[in-house]
Amino acid sequence: MVELLAPAGNLPMVEGAVANGANAIYVGPRGWSRRRDQYEMSDEDVRAAIKIAHAGGAKLRVAFNTNMQSHEIAPMLEKMERFVSWGVDGAIMTDIGAIAEVHQRFPHLTIHASIGANILNNEDVRFYRSIGVSQVVADTKLTLRELASRKEQIDVGIEILIHANKCYTYLGKCWMSPYHRLERTTDSFGKDLFKGSPNRGGLDYRVCMESWELYSGEKKWENSVALKNDAFFLLEDIPHLIKLKVECLKVQGREYAVPLVERIVRFYRDLIDACLASPDADTFDIAPWRSRLASIEMERDSARSDGTRQLLMEARQPLPAI
Amino acid sequence: MNAFELNTTIANLRDLQASDLTDYDGVYLGDIYCRLYESNFLEQLGDLKEGLHILHDQGKKAYVATYAAPRNDFLPKVRKMLEASVAAGAEAVEVHNLGILRIAHEEFPELPVHVGGFANIYTAAGAEVLRGFGAVRFTPNYELSLDEIHEITATCGAPLELLLHGKMPLGVSDYCFLLDYEEKWGVKCPDLCQKELFLKQGDWAMKSLGKGILSGKDVCMLEHLPRLLAESHRHFRIETVSENPEYRREVAAVYHAALKRALAGDGDVDERSWETLRRHAHIGLCNGFYFGRSGMDYQGLRPEALGSLPTISRAES
Repeated sequence: MVELLAPAGNLPMVEGAVANGANAIYVGPRGWSRRRDQYEMSDEDVRAAIKIAHAGGAKLRVAFNTNMQSHEIAPMLEKMERFVSWGVDGAIMTDIGAIAEVHQRFPHLTIHASIGANILNNEDVRFYRSIGVSQVVADTKLTLRELASRKEQIDVGIEILIHANKCYTYLGKCWMSPYHRLERTTDSFGKDLFKGSPNRGGLDYRVCMESWELYSGEKKWENSVALKNDAFFLLEDIPHLIKLKVECLKVQGREYAVPLVERIVRFYRDLIDACLASPDADTFDIAPWRSRLASIEMERDSARSDGTRQLLMEARQPLPAI
Repeated sequence: MNAFELNTTIANLRDLQASDLTDYDGVYLGDIYCRLYESNFLEQLGDLKEGLHILHDQGKKAYVATYAAPRNDFLPKVRKMLEASVAAGAEAVEVHNLGILRIAHEEFPELPVHVGGFANIYTAAGAEVLRGFGAVRFTPNYELSLDEIHEITATCGAPLELLLHGKMPLGVSDYCFLLDYEEKWGVKCPDLCQKELFLKQGDWAMKSLGKGILSGKDVCMLEHLPRLLAESHRHFRIETVSENPEYRREVAAVYHAALKRALAGDGDVDERSWETLRRHAHIGLCNGFYFGRSGMDYQGLRPEALGSLPTISRAES
């Protein structure tokens, strides 16, 4: 049975996602996941999230998917031990050293390779399997054919992002944002924060979405070049992904408002249930779902463009003096 | 025999034949971003063999790069390329993708593997995992500061290779936006990305190779060589994959001489060297992430070396 995985940037979002049919929720401990810290949780909130999820029959995964520093692996393991003792169901991770250490220390914990691991080919998957990963998030650029090949050849769980951004660059292989602005600080627990570097757990300024002028020498060739970075909702592919028996359909969006995330989760819950009840993916009528999705998409686009504008303004702010 | 290794990257035979490599100890052959890059060594295996022979004839170490973001359909060609590299005596292959690392380790165990910057080595533990897959040298992710790199060096039994000068890779895509302009400009692929293109907005600038995005400014560590040497680094890259032969030759000459002086205890940099670097850095100079700041910032004693666009550190502005 395919799992619907939902994001939660706060406890009301955990409750809302569970109430609207998510089978699993993921959260990020503060400083350790690929989101701005305001959408991450304290350890106590992670504990509460585990309880809420389990009470609603859902699983709770914790995202430690930053590329951490060498000296941060020991405190990460301590934190993980706490979460494991509280009953967390899995860890979403990126750094290969951290993955190997977690697998060694907690061999029964399910490890999901994050989108940031940028797993692109079947040999990549085999590599991650060999260091302890049992489920991988598929890059948003992969085709159904590539996913089918992966499913056919390798014993691995596949997660598909059904609401997410498709960046111009491969996710996890881009540091355009911190090139332009990186603000390093330390939080009250001594955790280094990297505002501007999504790979290192800070926010992404989305500088790719700036309106770029294109020059060769002194000559301006174009006035406004956009490096494509689109948010998407998968729709037509959903029946085929279910038929392919992918293990998990994942919604991103910890940064969005709770009601919007609730609407997205409810939409996909209903769609997945309808697909499962349908005899054939090829004849599933997607048309009525398209119109229902349209209003959600409009709300998301509005929130996203406000967010992008704000981030690009922040990216131009002077760094505080050292 | 130098006490250090200075190397660079060259994408095709034309560029290799036009380059004076006197001050380099080794060369990585191939463009890691795009299969359609003009006569890319990684696709033209006859050229690759000839390139490896040219390097050996000049007494250089001959390395082969591999794609930064290979999908399934790249892998058959990658295997052939690795086979050709072994047959022609390549000293090592550089991998950015862990799937290719696995192929190299299992199918070509005699070929030493260098791990490249897109492989995302951020931790000593990560390097240790890859040593188990036969990796013998690591370029840490470009986002790491020298202090963080030192954490890896302290425990990793293999040498690290650092970007010493040149455009720093910032990202790789599966899509070339330059193709959108073929008709409008009347320029076709693979000539599009040969045009020295820069994306600019205000004081921001990035160099575009279509699928590859590089820093607009040149990372410059000229005045920090004593620290790099003191921290036991001996393997250095001058990134010139998108530069012309003059850049390749003149920048290497500056660093080769400066490294020799620094090893002898003289860390001073002469004015002519600065002038050379300034002349080739059209957007300006930066330190990348080596000092824990925004990648486009520069920290050092020579702010006048920065170049044309406003580049004063934002913290000081």
